[in-house]
This record gives sequence, structure tokens and C-alpha cells, in this order.
Amino acid sequence: MIEASELQCERCGVALELKKTYFSYLGHAFHTDLPRCPVCGQVYIDEELVKGRMSRVERELEDK
Amino acid sequence: MSDAQGVIRHTVSVCPVCLRRIPAVQRRHDGAVWLEKQCPQHGFFSTPIWRDKLDLELWRAGVKPLMEGENPHCPHGCGICPDHKQGTCCALLEVTPRCNLACQFCFADDEMPEPDLGQLRAAIDHIASAGRPTLQLSGGEPSLRDDLPELVAYAKQQGCSYVQLNSNGLRLAEDEEYVAALAEAGLDFVFMQFDGTDDGVYQQLRGRPLLTEKLRAVEHCDAHHIGVTFVPTVVRGVNTAQLGDILRLAVSLSPAVRGVHFQPVSFLGRYPAAPAALDRYTLDELLTDLVAQSGGRIELANFRSSCCDHPLCGFHGGFIVLEDGSLLPLTQPQQTCCCGSDQPPQPEQSCCGGSERAPQSALQEGCCCGSGKTAWQSDNCCSGQLEATQQQSCCAGGEVQVLPCACDEISRTTAAQNREYIGRRWQRNLQAEQESNGQDISSLSGFLTRARSHAFTISAMAFQDAWNLDIERLRQCSLHVYADGMLKPFCSHYLTAAEAAHD
Repeated sequence: MIEASELQCERCGVALELKKTYFSYLGHAFHTDLPRCPVCGQVYIDEELVKGRMSRVERELEDK
Repeated sequence: MSDAQGVIRHTVSVCPVCLRRIPAVQRRHDGAVWLEKQCPQHGFFSTPIWRDKLDLELWRAGVKPLMEGENPHCPHGCGICPDHKQGTCCALLEVTPRCNLACQFCFADDEMPEPDLGQLRAAIDHIASAGRPTLQLSGGEPSLRDDLPELVAYAKQQGCSYVQLNSNGLRLAEDEEYVAALAEAGLDFVFMQFDGTDDGVYQQLRGRPLLTEKLRAVEHCDAHHIGVTFVPTVVRGVNTAQLGDILRLAVSLSPAVRGVHFQPVSFLGRYPAAPAALDRYTLDELLTDLVAQSGGRIELANFRSSCCDHPLCGFHGGFIVLEDGSLLPLTQPQQTCCCGSDQPPQPEQSCCGGSERAPQSALQEGCCCGSGKTAWQSDNCCSGQLEATQQQSCCAGGEVQVLPCACDEISRTTAAQNREYIGRRWQRNLQAEQESNGQDISSLSGFLTRARSHAFTISAMAFQDAWNLDIERLRQCSLHVYADGMLKPFCSHYLTAAEAAHD
């Protein structure tokens, strides 16, 4: 897991900060802490999260 | 759309008396849709299949009608022939004809000889080779076999994805050591006949009071971490007023009880008398009554018609039981997405909260979820292409129709997808149960833990009989019975002619 402060926003040139971040999918909202650009608000989502918990949430919410 | 005679669809069925294959129509009149057919020898038959409590065309979800010349051998040529539209999700194996009840209604064949262990192992070998289906051990009452744990272990060893026991629960109530042996062997879940919340229902349907034994069976399965799903046979005037009570009781027993699987009565095998029109309790009646009796715990929008089987064969809704006993529906009527926002999403927000897509950068080329193509690879944002075309993906921010399945083609859900969907919900997950209390359900981790520990599925399956058999439905059946060395759709295997069948 990369520390948020080690990541830099390419657009704004500033270090990312770990912030509570909301996701919504198929009508359900969830939060988790993610590196976020304090200027433009973009978040960095690492592959482990995408292939792990986010993928599992999809499977729970997507119908058969 | 209907013609001047009210005909809304053409299909093929059988004569209830001689079982010959005959043309049939679905015709709307007198506040219902009826399956109507004329046997040249035995006359005219008309059976209600839908009572227009819900929009039938929405419910069908675009499934195409049976066209002339399609499935020409159904139902008499079954095995699973090349014309069949669905694979094997669940394979049912009758392990004994014996039973310790004499129910009013029973589809099973009580005249088959008792198979020996070698025959059953050979059957399991065959079943397991058909794509690792869920194996349903059925009967008769399968728990009358002392060697059932051996069969369970063998099925797991041969690669069956899940092993399910279809049981009335009586032995599970009286013999906890037997339950322990089944658990040790790897039994995943029990489909337990559970018709009502008072003994009057059992007296009527099963011949004696059974509620205490049913609840003890649940306790024993709970103690050995075997998931239980309640399976009520729903008979109008017997237990149709108890749908909500059954639901409330089942939810109160979560996580031991994983759901309720309602089965409107069908007239296969043994039944008291040939059905009159009012004896038909259609799926739309069942669902609207269930919602009405739920005290606001569930809504119509939380359900979809069957995707794996034909829409007229069932429905399902996924839920999570929360710590306060309420049900969190996983199927939502409003399906919008707003990902990566630092604010809780508002209903009117579309994907990305109206902001532009993430540019190519160190943050990865983003989809609306802020995730990159590297991470999502073949998937598009949050979802598959199918949903995207239905404007349900997180990128579309669209509103969806609430009831029908999201797909519009036959065989829309593979049997394997269906199996995993139901299997992981019906199975206990002890680690998740230990971690679930006190978790914040709105966090990603908390949601996932609770979804595993306290999943709750409300579903229904409407079996077909000689009066309402519809080849359009039968050709999409994913529940197959193993008999005579082959797999056959459930409703063709148990199909029984009117005069010969009932007591």
C-alpha cells in the first residue's frame, strides 16, 4: 500500500492526502479512506482496492 | 398487445389428460391471463397463469416467445437436448423413495426402488461432470438414509460446487449427531420445508403439528453452521395469510436462516384433486401479497423476475439483515452512481458528480469511478456492457425499471452465475459473522462483512404441471433431475397426467 503523501497529482502538482471518500454504486453509498488531491479533488484508487473490495461490492449488488 | 380474442402470446403445452403436445395461447380475460389449449381427444383446458397484479410484459423482460418449429421434442424428448436454452444450475438426485410424512401435496416418485450407495455415487459422478452444479439431495425424505453424510462427502470430493439437502427437518430435529455428521461431511445448506408459523398449517398440509420440530431443526443446523432456507409450499386459503409471518420469523432467525424460497403449489405427483382456477396462486399474487403482509419491510422494487430460469418461473430479491432486524435491499429502484466524491451522493447526482473524467495522469486514466483501465481491465466502469446498454451503469446515471430482469435475451444469466449468486448467500460464513457486529455498514469493509454474514434472499419458484406447462418456460429450466442416467428439466421429469396422478 502506497502512502498518500508519496503520490502527487499530475494536474495540480501537489501531494495527495488521505481523505474519507464516498462511492456510490447501484443506489448504495459507501465510504473508505483514499488518497485525494486537496486542490482538484481527484482520488487515487489502487489496483488492490479495485480488484478486491470494490469488485466484491459489485458482485453483491449486481443482480444475477 | 392482444388480438380481438385477447390472445397475447402463442406457445405449446400438453393435454393434461393424455400429455400429448398441443398448441396453446395466453389469453387475457376476466382480470387474468389464462393458458388455453384444446386437445382433439380430451377437449378444452384453461388455467390462470397471471392475475395482472403486476405488468406481465415488464415482468417478462423481453424474453422471446416460442416460435414455430422451436423445441419440437419438448417435453417428451428431455434429457437436456441441444435445443435447451439453459445449463444445469442445480441437479436434483432422489436418494430414497421413503418418507416419514404423508403430505397432501408431493411431487416425488414414491415408487422408485431404493438406490444403493454405488448407484448414487455413479449418479454423482455423472452430475459432477456436468459443470459442477449444486447437488440437491432429495427424496422421499433423504435424511432417512443413514449413509447420507457419505454421499455429501463424496459429492464435495467429486467437485459439486454446493451440496444442498431438501428436507422436512424431522430427523434434523431429533438427531443432532446426524446434523453434526452432515456438517462434517461438508453439507452447505438445507432447503427446509416450512409452510407456516402455526401448527394448523402443518396439520392441514402435512398431517400433523410440526412447528416445534422445525424450529429445533433450525437450532441444530445453526449449532453446526449449516445454512437453512425456509421453503413454504403456498396453498391458497391454507397459508397465503402467513407469508409475512413466515418472512418475519425467518428474518428473526438470521444468520441461521438465510432466506425464504416460496413455492406456489403445483399439481404434480400426489395432490388432493385436479386444480380449479382459484387453486392457482400466481407469482404476481404471491409477490404483491408478500409485500403487503411485510409491514413495509420490503417493496416490489426490491425484486426481479428470474434471470436464469424463465421470468414466469420465479423471482428473487437480495437483502442484508441489519443489526436492528431491518432488511437492507440490495436491489434498488434508483440506480445512479457517483464515485470518488468526498460528499455523500445526492439523488440527482449523476456519475462523477458532474465533474469531468479524470485525465490521463499519474492518477490513471479514469472511468467515472476514478479507477483506471488497468485496474478494471475488461470491465467497463463498475459494470458489464449489458448494464451499460440498459442505462444502468454508473456512467449513465439512469433510472431503471424496477421489476424485470435487466437483461433481454434468453439464457441471460448462465447457470454458473446463478449458482454462485445463490450459493454464497445460502451458505453460512462464520468468519464474517464473528466480525460483523458493530461494523459501520456504510463503509466498504463493513458492508462486505455484513453482506457475507447476514445475507438474506427472498425467492420463489413456480413449478409447472400438466395444466399450465409452457414449453417456452420449460426450455429455459436450470433445475434438472438426474434419472435414468440423464439430466431432465424438473417439470418435464415430474410431469404427471391428470387422471393417473392424484390420489
